[in-house]
Amino acid sequence: MQKSNNRHPGVLATLAALVGVLWAAVLPAQETGLEIRSASTALDGGVWYLSADIDYRLNRDTLEALQNGVPLTFELQVELSERRRWLPDEVVAALLQHFELSWQPLSRGYLVRNTNSGDQRAHSTLFAALNDLGRIAALPLIDADLIDEDERYEVSLRAVLDQQKLPGPLRMLAFWDDDFTLESEWYRWNLRSGQPQ
Amino acid sequence: MVPVESAERAAPVNAKGSRRLRRYLTIALTACGVLMGIAALVMLGRYASSLADFGRRHVIILGINAVAAAVLLGLIAVNLFRLVRDYRRRAPGARLRARLVAMFVGLTLAPLLVVYFFALQFVSGGIDSWFDSDLEQELSAALRLSRESLEVQSTSRLLQTGALAAAIGNLDGEALARALSVLRVDAGADELTVFTKELRVAASSARTDTLPPTLSEDALNQLGQDERFVALEPQGGARYQVRAAVVIPGQMPGDTAEAGQRYLQAVFPIGDRQGRLADAVQDTYTRYSELRFLRGPLKDNLALTLSLVLLLSLLSAATGAFYLARRLAAPIESLAAGTEAVAKGDFDTRLPPGAADEVGFLIQSFNGMLERLGSAREESRSSQQQLERERANLATILARLSTGVIAIGSDGRIRIANDAAGAILGIDLAFQVGASLDEIAATGALPAQFVDACRPHLAGELREWRAQIALRTEGARRILNCASSGLPGDVSGAVDPASDEFPAGAIIVFDDVTDLLIAQREAAWGEVARRLAHEIKNPLTPIRLAAERIRRRYLPTMASEEGQVLDRSTHTIVQQVEAMRDMVNAFSEYARAPAVAIARVDLSQLIREVAWLYRAQEGQPVVQLALEEGLEIEADAVRVRQLLHNLIRNAQEALEGQAGGLIEIGARQVAGGDRQFAEISVTDNGPGIEAELLTRLFEPYVTSKKKGTGLGLAIVKKLVEEHGGTVAAENLPERGARLVVRLPVRAVARETLNEARVARLEQRRERA
Repeated sequence: MQKSNNRHPGVLATLAALVGVLWAAVLPAQETGLEIRSASTALDGGVWYLSADIDYRLNRDTLEALQNGVPLTFELQVELSERRRWLPDEVVAALLQHFELSWQPLSRGYLVRNTNSGDQRAHSTLFAALNDLGRIAALPLIDADLIDEDERYEVSLRAVLDQQKLPGPLRMLAFWDDDFTLESEWYRWNLRSGQPQ
Repeated sequence: MVPVESAERAAPVNAKGSRRLRRYLTIALTACGVLMGIAALVMLGRYASSLADFGRRHVIILGINAVAAAVLLGLIAVNLFRLVRDYRRRAPGARLRARLVAMFVGLTLAPLLVVYFFALQFVSGGIDSWFDSDLEQELSAALRLSRESLEVQSTSRLLQTGALAAAIGNLDGEALARALSVLRVDAGADELTVFTKELRVAASSARTDTLPPTLSEDALNQLGQDERFVALEPQGGARYQVRAAVVIPGQMPGDTAEAGQRYLQAVFPIGDRQGRLADAVQDTYTRYSELRFLRGPLKDNLALTLSLVLLLSLLSAATGAFYLARRLAAPIESLAAGTEAVAKGDFDTRLPPGAADEVGFLIQSFNGMLERLGSAREESRSSQQQLERERANLATILARLSTGVIAIGSDGRIRIANDAAGAILGIDLAFQVGASLDEIAATGALPAQFVDACRPHLAGELREWRAQIALRTEGARRILNCASSGLPGDVSGAVDPASDEFPAGAIIVFDDVTDLLIAQREAAWGEVARRLAHEIKNPLTPIRLAAERIRRRYLPTMASEEGQVLDRSTHTIVQQVEAMRDMVNAFSEYARAPAVAIARVDLSQLIREVAWLYRAQEGQPVVQLALEEGLEIEADAVRVRQLLHNLIRNAQEALEGQAGGLIEIGARQVAGGDRQFAEISVTDNGPGIEAELLTRLFEPYVTSKKKGTGLGLAIVKKLVEEHGGTVAAENLPERGARLVVRLPVRAVARETLNEARVARLEQRRERA
């Protein structure tokens, strides 16, 4: 009985996977994955704040995992490095922010939780949840006193799907398979001028 | 493994060390590989059951497994390479090892594969059995129930919010704030907030101080569509809240910021108990969904784990198989190597003692056998050495013997011949060992006569014989005393099995007894002479006296005719008695050996004096001298004078009745070996010496002449030998004969020569 139950979804899953593969082959590369649309820094009250707009586009596998109760954790990697003329750049500050996106079957919504701060927001749609996830506003980066005014600083930002937070079997799968590899390019800009590098 | 001890002993120390190092390294690597494999498997086993930890360490575990597999694979490859190489070389034990390895691997493979496929099926089925469709439906039902219960609550909260919004109506400012506080407490809400059209907070009342409230996009969208919004929100820690928002009925008049449409958002807590229950249901449902979703990857992981287990087990088994096969085959290999070494003659080989099993017993027996073989060989070697020594001694003895020894093999070929044999036969037999008798006979006259004399004896079955063989050569006659005896085996050492009863070879011992016979003859003649002198000389004087007395008494009284008869008769008697006396004196001269008086003699002068006595007379041969002046020797002058007389007289007698006879006497100094000799030669132009007399010329009464005693040359020889010299006679090629006497110039040399000659003579006499 179980087998007959399983067979049907198995066929469906195979078909879906086939469609997904074809879809992935047809679609341009940037259709799925993470992309930083814009990012900037602003000085306010002696503290540099980071704001960014990140586009999270989940692929079929991650979406399926999410809707089957697997929480996805995205890591926001921020690095502030001093640009030096002769020597290699030095990383002055590094910041990691983790956001967990999970499906809530009870409320039939999505929960976005900042695991660093514990803040969480519930969303009734994935769209809203992803938008919320992609909107970084006024994230404190560094105290202005800690950096040298005369030096040039570069901010690098990247968003990745944290595979280490995936359940074990998926992590092993992710080791062989690129389906669970979601990461954006590094986005770099000048701390003060805001000009992208 | 080193199978044979002797090989180990023979190997240099550093090779032994490196072999030991390699062995330790192999053991360490194997242990490392197996331990790593076991560790990895334990980790796999532990973490495979826990979803959380498994993935975290899987790369490390996989890495360890890969390294372990690589190590084991490397070991197997090395072992396999060695095995194949040994197999191709047909090294001892390689086939056995190959069979053992194949057997072990086969034995391991079958149950492992069975367990593997069974476990795979079992695990797959086990995981599938977790997911029960009834359970799934029940979980869904529970979730639905919870959700519906919460939705009922949410709906009532929404209605309540609507009522609150109606109650707020057109209140604003302080009145609104106060009303909100009262209404919040009354409604049991956590938070009540009024938002303006621009989503600014017009007034708010909260149970606790929190962040400034906001109206979410979702809420705004919903409000835009049907003027109300409700959502169930998890708050973490199994707490839930209901967020409800409605459009406040009625428009605020005026142009102020608060004018226009307003929204009321209310947040109501869900009861703790209900929240916990709902949360538990959601948690369970989520975990179940997750598990169901992860079923595929989990199965893959477990299959991978099992495959790794299988691979590592197989590799370990294969490595172990090689090791075990080597261990098992090692004693047999060492036995094989030992047997081969023994077959090549190496009896010093000892096998390392094996375990206390049948093979160990075999090795022990093998070593014992080698021990006995070795000692037997040692004995045989020592007896062979003994034999060699004996043979060397025999060779030395044979070489020092003056008796000739020739050993002849069953094939009629010479096996052994000593120097004396060669010297007697006048050939170098050292180069003739292995030659047949015919080949020996072809080398010269003497050997030919010897072989001819021996052949009849050798051909007969009776090998024990004794004979005197006379060999003739030009100018010499040699007498050999031969004795032969059969040899029990072939002289070459090989015993002919077919001729056990008959001697396979013969040994001929022979001695040149010519000198001995001469000496014996001389001694006999000396004795005869002495007797004659004694027996004949004594009556001669009375005979002569009697004859003279008869003559003196009766001659005057007799008539002349009778007197003449008497006179003639007595005269004849006296004359003949004188002749007899001379003869007897000559005999006694030959037999007597008066003391030799050595003095310095001028040989040339002496020869001249003697020759003067024989100066030419009518009918006598002419004597010519060819003398080296000042030739002096140390000798007895009387004896040398007599020697010269005898020689000249001998020549005269040889020329008697011959016209134009000529005697040449020569004297000169010659070197013979390391000594100096004075050579005196007397040559005549007579008829020469008869060939058959030539060899016995110097024996008494050997003469071809009508006159003379026959003792002349015998005395010459005796005198010459007393001086340590030599005498020889030869016929001249055309006519005449020559006698050559050599006398040593120094007496010392002569004495030495004499002693040696006397000693030799004595030796032969004793042997004879």
